[in-house]
This record gives sequence, structure tokens and C-alpha cells, in this order.
Amino acid sequence: MNPGDRVRVERGGTTNEGVVLPSSTSDHIVLKLDGGYNIGIDREAASVDVLETDVHDIDDDGEPDDGAVSEIEFGDELPTISLISTGGTIASTVDYRTGAVTAQFTAEDVLRAVPELAGRANYRGRVVANILSENMEPTIWQELATAVYEEIEAGADGVVVMHGTDTMQYSAAALSFMLNTPVPIVFTGSQRSADRPSSDNVMNAVSAVEAAKADCAEVLLCMHASASDDRCALHRGTRVRKNHTSRRDAFETIGNKPLATIEYETARDDGADGDAADDAITFNREYAARGETDLALSDDLNPAVELVKFTPGMDPAAWDYLDDADGVIIEGTGLGHIHTELIPRVKELVDNGTVVAMTSQCLEGRVCDRVYDTGRDLLDAGIVEAGDTLPGTAKVKLMWALANVGNPTEAMGRSLAGELTEESQPWQ
Amino acid sequence: MSSDAYDYEALGLIAGLEIHQQLDTETKLFCESPTDLREPEESDRTITRFLHPTKSELGELDDAALEESRVDREFEYLAYDSTCLVEEDDEPPTEVDGEALDVAMQIASLLDMEIVDQLHVMRKLVIDGSNTSGFQRSMLLGQEGEIQTSEGPVSIVDLLLEEESAQRVEEYDGGVRYSLDRLGIPLVEIGTGPDIRSPEQAKEAAKRIGMLLRSTGTVKRGLGTIRQDVNVSIEEGARVEIKGVQALDQIDEIVRLEVGRQSELVDIAEELQARDASVGDTQDVTTVFEDTDSGVIGGALGDGGTVTAVPLYGFDGLVGREIQPDRRLGTELSDHAKRNGAGGIFHTDELPAYGVTDEEVAALRDAVDAGDDDAVAIVAADPETADLAIEAAAERAETAIEGVPEETRDATDEGTTRYLRPLPGAARMYPETDVPPVEPDPSEIDEPELLTEKVDRYQEVFDLDSGLAEQVAYGRRMPLFEEAVDRGIDPTFAASVLESTVTELRRDDVAVENIADAHFLAVFDLVADDELAKEGVNDVLTVLAEQPDLTAEAAIEEAGLGGVDDEEVREIIAGVVERNADQVAEEGMGAFSGLMGECMAELRGKADGDTVSDVLREEIGKRS
Repeated sequence: MNPGDRVRVERGGTTNEGVVLPSSTSDHIVLKLDGGYNIGIDREAASVDVLETDVHDIDDDGEPDDGAVSEIEFGDELPTISLISTGGTIASTVDYRTGAVTAQFTAEDVLRAVPELAGRANYRGRVVANILSENMEPTIWQELATAVYEEIEAGADGVVVMHGTDTMQYSAAALSFMLNTPVPIVFTGSQRSADRPSSDNVMNAVSAVEAAKADCAEVLLCMHASASDDRCALHRGTRVRKNHTSRRDAFETIGNKPLATIEYETARDDGADGDAADDAITFNREYAARGETDLALSDDLNPAVELVKFTPGMDPAAWDYLDDADGVIIEGTGLGHIHTELIPRVKELVDNGTVVAMTSQCLEGRVCDRVYDTGRDLLDAGIVEAGDTLPGTAKVKLMWALANVGNPTEAMGRSLAGELTEESQPWQ
Repeated sequence: MSSDAYDYEALGLIAGLEIHQQLDTETKLFCESPTDLREPEESDRTITRFLHPTKSELGELDDAALEESRVDREFEYLAYDSTCLVEEDDEPPTEVDGEALDVAMQIASLLDMEIVDQLHVMRKLVIDGSNTSGFQRSMLLGQEGEIQTSEGPVSIVDLLLEEESAQRVEEYDGGVRYSLDRLGIPLVEIGTGPDIRSPEQAKEAAKRIGMLLRSTGTVKRGLGTIRQDVNVSIEEGARVEIKGVQALDQIDEIVRLEVGRQSELVDIAEELQARDASVGDTQDVTTVFEDTDSGVIGGALGDGGTVTAVPLYGFDGLVGREIQPDRRLGTELSDHAKRNGAGGIFHTDELPAYGVTDEEVAALRDAVDAGDDDAVAIVAADPETADLAIEAAAERAETAIEGVPEETRDATDEGTTRYLRPLPGAARMYPETDVPPVEPDPSEIDEPELLTEKVDRYQEVFDLDSGLAEQVAYGRRMPLFEEAVDRGIDPTFAASVLESTVTELRRDDVAVENIADAHFLAVFDLVADDELAKEGVNDVLTVLAEQPDLTAEAAIEEAGLGGVDDEEVREIIAGVVERNADQVAEEGMGAFSGLMGECMAELRGKADGDTVSDVLREEIGKRS
């Protein structure tokens, strides 16, 4: 008896017929019954007759072809949008027999999963990775940045990156530092997997494509702005953070309103024939316009950067492993503090050539180490204040700065890609 | 047409039941929200969503599902301070609620079912918006059970434990509004096999299952908390699923009338075939009615509408034939026209009438080339609706020549049924990967005492009379009654308060549903401790119904029954005797019953009858 076989199972006077599923364990045979229900039957207590072998081909042969480019065109006059996949479930289909969810990657696959995308643009589909976003690595950021660069060079009018939501903000930050872009680069994903009718993937994908067709040529992150399917927010890739584990509107710009909002129904309707849905997008601030910047790629990274959080009661030995780091981002308390007894350790790191930058676990507001003695001692020890840079963004920035700028310590104190604001303006 | 005249065996009646019962658990099936219903006005936030049913190579949507899903329909959900992110589809579900599992297993056990070794939660696609996720979570828990009826056993095929859908509040322009309070309440669905052979047996089986469900003491009560679907067919008829039967007492009548309908339709089909009947092409007959006096048709034409017609060759006299009380073949045609937006149809079997003249009928027949043996059906509406509706009616007429169509029908209050939609296809299901499988332990099932057994026990042990015993056992306050008796309250007293007194108060428009269980128990305790006279119970409960925030003690004060000690009682009674001194002198103890009434009226329940009677006797005795 193998998965895919049709069997009759007798157990304690009850007889069931169905197809054996791969989710069977050594304890239980899992059957899909004709009515659609799955049940698990105690293997030891059951007697099984195989009625027919291989009724269904259960094997998953959905492995994507890495690096392959697929194209789908709706008309000459339409803008071209590149859809780049890194994994995640924004475009996936479910096998209703087995329940297996398969991520989909080619342009046709994405369009089949989100038919609302059809006609808005011509699409190029490209796969960079097929990973869970928690398994993201700096090397994949480099591959992703290169792929985006190549797509723009090949004529893409905008790029949409489909990404798992867990680490989307880090990838968006990475591309913000690595690329100068003349066109929009829009990250999107889904908080509810695409296999359910209520998935946020359709609205996020449509809004992301409309943002990619629009005028703001920055690295953006496009996700729900509220719990309703009413509008998406466009966040600057360096200022955004996932602030909720499960809600559709988990992503928030820290310290300000999002850069823009997109009214979904207006965007969906106005952009349906390939036009730009400008009326749907409301910008809250200045942005870099399409074509203002020349395309450039600086994809070197120094991954030897650690992000460490100081918490009361922590064992100072926890920072022993930082010896090998070229850069350290500290997520301090309040204005940017750590236990005074840890300050000599920081000094030691700086003296050994490690760049140590201070951020705050408050997230909102900027670091200021000139107010209290602890802060002044930290400055004396050689840390650099990262202003209001978010800790995660600061980590990615330092990886890039170590590999690309002459004085990374100085660079951590000023804005390179909108990650550090000049002044703190109240916004709420 | 006397429905009693049917020989069900000869007709080959086959019926089955599907019973949906909400469980009265503390929390919902997949979250920690309470299972309480709310008023839409209490909602403190709303969210709007769209559903996007996706098709995969295997996940084709069936016709019924597609008919439900109009493109871009918006759904608005009312949320409450008693609902959470799980109902909003913004947080993964919890594991299956343990209490719901226990109750469902109890029910399975009462139905003599085998419990599945390992339960797998499935997602059943539902795209009408009634589930925020776009699917209903459901698991198969029991198989192969059986109940007994006086006409033989009825098999129970399956028991599903699933989540209740959101309550539809209303439709608005472009969308549907739902309330999240009901979404996720545990629901068991019990399906019988097609073993039922008579209307009486259908009712008996439904009653039996209902009694078993209530025996758990953990099922919801009241309107909408139990829904019965009845599947009916006769040998020459077709399988018809009748939805939404609310009252158990109606089930036999519904089966009877459905058998009648199918058997009449079979007769009509035979007659139509014998006449070589056929349905002609639909056409526009607006010109026939240009100068009509008919309000309905004239009104539609005045609004720019048209009249469409279909000739039904060989149908004369049959369209008007009654197939259920007050329902004709014409009504069936009309139902289909209505589903397509029209107000209904007219047909020549009922014309001239409704302002349509003889001349217009003749002209209509002429226009569609229909003779005396033929019938004509017409629809008057806006042009698009008129076309769609007459096509739908024509299609239904075609089916009438063949026999009885398979379909889902809606039960009416009269026990008749009307067309609702096509039969649903096989449910589209896939695993709910957010919830791990559950391995229930059937050895832990605590089989409850059946209500029928309770009735016997209440009579034997508590000495209740059979009527009161049955009222209490089947009543919704049965668990409260048992709790009261457990703490030493006199069973007859508790039963009569919980049934008779409550019924009396309800008749007097007292909002008895406001009285909490704890209030009843407190009142019982106060009576037991002689803090409150039995005669005062009505008044105290009335106060508690009006001011549920009061304690029972405060309610006694509020009812003006507080603070009367024996001394005062004696004073008041002595006063009554004093006022009636002449009568007492004259009649002695003969005045007792008259004065007793006066004393009780004056004390208004501040003292119980026995005490008053004793004191009154003493006071009269003193004077005689």
C-alpha cells in the first residue's frame, strides 16, 4: 500500500474506502474518503485491501526551474512588469486531493493564481529562490539585486518581488542600499496563504503591480493598510517593519505615515487595461520620481555583522562571540543604552576595529547618547549613533557600508537610502 | 387531493435527514471567544473583504458554488467585543475545542456510532461570504451509527463537527453584511442513511435525534440553533433536498406534501407525454398587451418593460393543476422566473384574470401559435429580466415533460416547498493545515442520562407528576433544576418555579431570559433559609428580570418584601383581626378563610402562607 492507492480499510466493524494520502504516519493510515473528508485509521487495528494502485499521482514535481525567465504579453502599448519570486505563498495552488500547497513561479502560474493581474501589464516571470523567508541569506539578497538589475536593464518598467513576509523588510532594505533605480521596485507577499479564498494575495499583488506601474521609483513594500480589503500601504523599504504576527496589516512604517496609500478598488479598475492608476495612489511625502536616477548596482556585502539586543540580566558572556564580527548593531534601551558594565566590552570591540552602531529597541524615536553618563561613556568607547535607523535596517546597512563605503562608521550616522531621517517630526 | 391517500410503500418513498445542531460550549470551536449571540447594534468595528475563489486543475468550482459567487461582491463583517482575530481570519485557529469534542463524542456515542481514530480538520469551500476565510472547517468524527424507530432502525451515516457560519444580517447595494458573533460556534451535523420510509418515521427519527442531542445538556436552544434538512424521493420522482425546516412537528407534513408534489408531477409528466407535449420558442409579445388594463403588465410596460411568452404545446389545464396546497405546476415555473428577478408568471390556465381580458388571451394564443390544447406562460418585466425569466420558466416546463427535477428546495411555513437552487456538487475540501489532527479517546466518553430516562427518574425519585417531570426534563432549565436539587432545594418547588412560574411571568411580558441561573439559585437558597416566602418568588424574579444587575437580596428589598420579622407579621395580622373584630366575634374560626386572604394581600409575600395561617389562627383564637 502506497500513497495514491485506492484501498478498502476495515477497522472494528467499520469499512472505509478511499485514497491513501502521503500524510499517513507509522501509527495512522490517512484516507481521503469519496465525500472529501480525510480520516486517520489506526494502522495496527486495520486490515487493508488495495483496490487499485496509483489512482492519483501524488508526487510533487512542482520544483521550479531556477533562473528561468517566462514572458506573457497582453499588448504592445502596455508597460512591462517583472514578477520575481523568492518563495512564499502569494502565488500557490492547492491540490484538493492531497491538500499539498505548491508555490507557483512562472508568469503564467502567477496569472493563473491571481487572474486579476491579466491585462494590467505585460509580464516577465523570474525565479530567484524558492525558500521560506526565514531562511533568507545575504547571498540571496545579492542574487535578487542582480536579477532586479538585469530585469530593469532588459526594459522592465517596474519590478514586483514576491517574498515571504517574515523577513521581507530585511530584503527590501538590502535592495534599497544595493540598487539605484529609475523604476519602482515593489515587494509584496501575503499574510493569508493563497490557497484560501480570503487570501490577501490578490489585493496585494494587484496593488503592487499598480505601484510598479506608477511614478515612485524607490524600493517599496506594498501590503494591506488595514484589516479590510480597502487599501494597501506603500512603505519605504528601509523604514518598514512587520509589527504583527498574523494580521493582514502587519507592516507599518515606523515613525511616520506610510509613504503612500493605494485605494484598491480604484487601482483595480483604473489599471485594468494597462493605464497607470494614478488616481488610486495618495502620496504622503516627497519621493524619487521615475527616471530621476540612473540604474546602478553595488551588490557587495560584508555579512560579518551581528545585531544584538541588550536586556536586563543578560550574561555578558553572550557578547563574547562578537570578536569575529566586523560590525555590530546594538539594540539598546531608551535613548541607546546598555548596562554600564558592558561598556568596556564595547570599547574592546571598537579598539579591535569593529564598527559598533547604536539603535534603540524603542523603535520609535532617535538614539541620543549625549544625555546621560552611560551614553557619553558609550560615545567615548567609540560607538556611532544610528539616529532613528531601525535595528534590522541598520544591520543590513552596515553589511553594505562595510563593503562599499570608505568610512562605514561615518556612514552609519547619515542617511544613504531614506533609512535615517534628518529631523523628528511628530506624525501621529 | 388528500395526502393521506398515498401508499408510501408502493410509491417507493425514500427519505433521509440531515440535522445541524449548535453546541452550547463555553468557547468557540477554534478560538477562545464565547458562543454568545449579539445584536448588530452592539458591533464596535466592521471590516470589509472580498473573496477570490481560485480554480486549480482539480479545484473546479461547482455550479451551485458559482451561482453563489457574483464577481466582486463585497462582504462586510460586524465584529464585537466578544469576537477576536480568528473570526476575522486575521489569526490562525486554535486547536479543536476540547469541550466541543467531548460533547460531539457524547452525541456520537448516543447515536451508537464508531468514533474515527484520528480526526482531520478539513476546509470546505464556501464562497458566499458566510465564512471570512472562504471555507468552513469541518471534521468527520463518527461513522456507522443507528437509532431505533417504531418502524425499524434508521442508520446514521456520519457525524461531522464543524464551525457555524456567520449570520447574514442584510444585503446592501453591492454587498452582503454578516455578523461574526455566530461564526465559529461548534456545530454537529448528523446525516441519516436513506432508510426512512414514511412521513411519520421521518418525524419520529428527527424527534429521537433531537432528544438525544438535548440529553447532553450542552446544545443551544431556541430559534435557529437546530436546523433540519430533509431529503425526499419517490421511485419515479427524484432526490430533492429540502432546506431549513425549523420545527420538528413539521417534518411529517413536509415529507407528505413533497411526496404529493412528486407524485402529481409524475402524473403530469405521464399526461404530457401521452399528449406528445412540447415547449415552443420564447418570444416577445409586448404588442398584444399595448392597451392592457392589467395593472401588473401595464405597470411593467410603463417602465419600459416588455412581455415575453413561451407556448406550452399540449399543456392546457396542466399548468394550473395543484401539486401542493395552493401551489400549481405554474407556481414551479414562477419560482424559476423569480430566481431570475421577475415577479412571477401568468399562464393561460388562470387567464383571463388580473385585468387580462378574453380578447388579450385570444390574441396571445394567436401570437405564439397556441391552440385550445396548449397553454401559454408570460412574464412582464424589464427587457433583460423578461427574457431571462421566460427562458427559465420554459426550461422548467421542459423538465415537467420528463418528470421530477433533482433540486434543493426551501421549506415554507405552510410545509410546502419552493425551488431554491440546483443540488450542490461534491464539496470541495482540502486539509486545514493550521490545525493538527486530533486523536480522541472514546473511553473517556461520559454517556449522559437520556431525557426519557430523566422523566422517569424525576417521577420516581422526586415525586414530580408526569407533566411537570417532562416539562423540566425537556425544558432549557433542566441543568439548573438538577443543580438546585443537588443543593437540597425541594424538587417540586424548584420544578414549579422553573417551569410554571417562569411561564406565568413570560405571559405577563416579564423578560425572564434576563434572569441568570445564579439568580434562580440565590432565590431558591433564600426561600430555603426562610429569608423569602414562596409567595414572594414571583415578585423577586420580576425585579431580577428588570434589573439583572441586582443581587437576589437587593431584589427582595426592591420588591418591598424585605425587613419583615415575625413580630411585624403578628402586628399586621393582629391589625387585620382588629379591623374585623365584629366578624370574628360572630363567626369565630368561620372567619378564617376570609381573613386569610386579607392578611396575605397585606403582607404581599413578606411571610409564607403557613406562618400567616398559624398566626391568624392564634389571633382569632385569642378573641373567640
